[in-house]
Amino acid sequence: MAKSFHEVRDPIHDFVRFDSTEREVIDSRPLQRLRHIHQLGMSHLVYPGATHKRFEHSLGVMELAGRVFDVLTHWRNTSDWVLDVFPKIDDRLWIGYWRMVLRIAALCHDIGHLPFSHVAEKELLPKGWSHERLTMQLIRSDAMSSMWSKMRPPLETEDIVKLAVGPKFYRKDPRERAAFSDWEALLSEIIVGDAFGVDRMDYLLRDSHHAGVVYGKFGHIRLIDTLRVLPPPGEDSREPRLGVEQGGLHSAEALLLARYFMYAQVYFHRVRRIYDIHLRDFLKEWLPRGTFDTDLEAHLNVTDAELTVALLEAARDHSKPGHDAARRIVERDHFRLLWQRNPKDWDINKEAGPVLSRAVMKEFGPEAVRYDYVPVKGGLPDFPVKCKDGRIVSSLRLSQTLRTIPSALVDYIFVDPDKRDKAEAWMNKNRETILKKAKKGEIQQ
Amino acid sequence: MKAVEGMKRRALLLSLIDAMSKEGSWCGETHVQKCVYFVQDMLDVPMGFDFILYKHGPFSFDLRDELTAMRADDLLQLDLQPPYGPSLRPGPLAEDLIGFYPKTIRQYKPSIEFLATHVSTRRVSELERLGTALYVTKKMNSERSPEPVDQRANQMHSLKPHVSKEEARIALRDVDTLISESESLRD
Repeated sequence: MAKSFHEVRDPIHDFVRFDSTEREVIDSRPLQRLRHIHQLGMSHLVYPGATHKRFEHSLGVMELAGRVFDVLTHWRNTSDWVLDVFPKIDDRLWIGYWRMVLRIAALCHDIGHLPFSHVAEKELLPKGWSHERLTMQLIRSDAMSSMWSKMRPPLETEDIVKLAVGPKFYRKDPRERAAFSDWEALLSEIIVGDAFGVDRMDYLLRDSHHAGVVYGKFGHIRLIDTLRVLPPPGEDSREPRLGVEQGGLHSAEALLLARYFMYAQVYFHRVRRIYDIHLRDFLKEWLPRGTFDTDLEAHLNVTDAELTVALLEAARDHSKPGHDAARRIVERDHFRLLWQRNPKDWDINKEAGPVLSRAVMKEFGPEAVRYDYVPVKGGLPDFPVKCKDGRIVSSLRLSQTLRTIPSALVDYIFVDPDKRDKAEAWMNKNRETILKKAKKGEIQQ
Repeated sequence: MKAVEGMKRRALLLSLIDAMSKEGSWCGETHVQKCVYFVQDMLDVPMGFDFILYKHGPFSFDLRDELTAMRADDLLQLDLQPPYGPSLRPGPLAEDLIGFYPKTIRQYKPSIEFLATHVSTRRVSELERLGTALYVTKKMNSERSPEPVDQRANQMHSLKPHVSKEEARIALRDVDTLISESESLRD
């Protein structure tokens, strides 16, 4: 008799378990394509072990989404208050439906990713497109929709789309924003939430494991066991939120510290960032019209494998488009860091990065300089905590650690290695004057 | 109208938080989110944030990121005021930045003052309902035919079931009054 339950080994979660209908989705083209998309783009050029792919991450997110859902909806963890706001939480059929939707949405949340993941997505897709929009299109495609309708019970396509991309990106069509009900908002927070989203939990654990960077680890099993649906603290609002029992607060702190360390050490590593920029430069020349095709068939046909072949060919052959950028990646002749944000320059001028990068480009030519800026993102780690005496208190009131976790950002200027010495000398001589002059100009707006 | 961008937008946000604070308003992130929504979508100050009906009513992920970035840049600071969560206040570099854009601040001062005095001092649950009421009103009203309160209240209740229809009706009437009182500021 054919097995109805399946399991695969996983270095992070020991086993990932799924049923036969989920296996059909795993075996589909959009999911199998993720076996050929590096989770961390070109980070393996800095951290050689970081060659893992989006495929195993997607399995991990599905596994964790199911675990979190089971904890939140277990009768022991659902107070009268929860039953009052979500009366159907007692209905096994209803809960079973949403558990399936959540796991499928978690599995599919990354299928729209471009080759090499996040590399310059905004510049390499036509205006108005993102990998989330591609994910939405794929989930709505005929091939995938027929899988949803064959499931028992059949799943509503839009339910999967909503949870897969979350409220930040969900649109019924490109022009129309759509509201999230309290239940949908809660479930989407399980996947993409800023504080406890399982997408983040899995990528921190997985990326740190493969990169060999210990900072990304935290006690995720304890954290998941203590997650609860709670009312907001100290407010008279009745809107349900995802929070923790007090016993899980240290694990939550560890998760948010892990996020900071991983951003500072891995995701925003200066050499990783400049390799991404060189790859973007290569792709802008190599791709027809300088952008990826948003046709779904074209999207499914392009992975890191095809791009790596093209990159190696272009690096060897002067006549190929994108030769210079490709050669810099392959021969490790990348641009070098000339400047990064520092308190002294920031105190003089709040737009030090753009001002200085424009000045360096004017002096040494735009082809010899690259400016890289990624602002701080995400919100305050403010979530409800259920204390041992039953009171609901803000996490920020209880945890000094959460109040003081710094934010990582990118504000770098890179320069061609051939011009590095001259550029450094020039920068040392002129930096302060340029920043002060620029400030004077702006105040006379 | 072209949206205010970059540091100019940050200066406007700081002057709004400062005005809220001077009125004695709580400045938690939820409060700031709702107040910016009113300034932008009711008073037409072109802040350029994209709002969706989500946490406690209208919510902008861009604004959340911007507030975090401003904290990282010492433009905003957190104050802890038990038993509530943290409240935001202008940080050590805020005054410097506000002073940098006098023309912009002057231009939008009446709208910010209206917001601070008429909206900002309300409790968070009231702001949640009021923000949702404005969101529903803007979605459902066309210029020629405003939707009756009852119809909008039904829609509001279906979106936020924990808000009763009566609470929704009160919030919608309140929003209609605020819209009419602030009409001159939009001219």
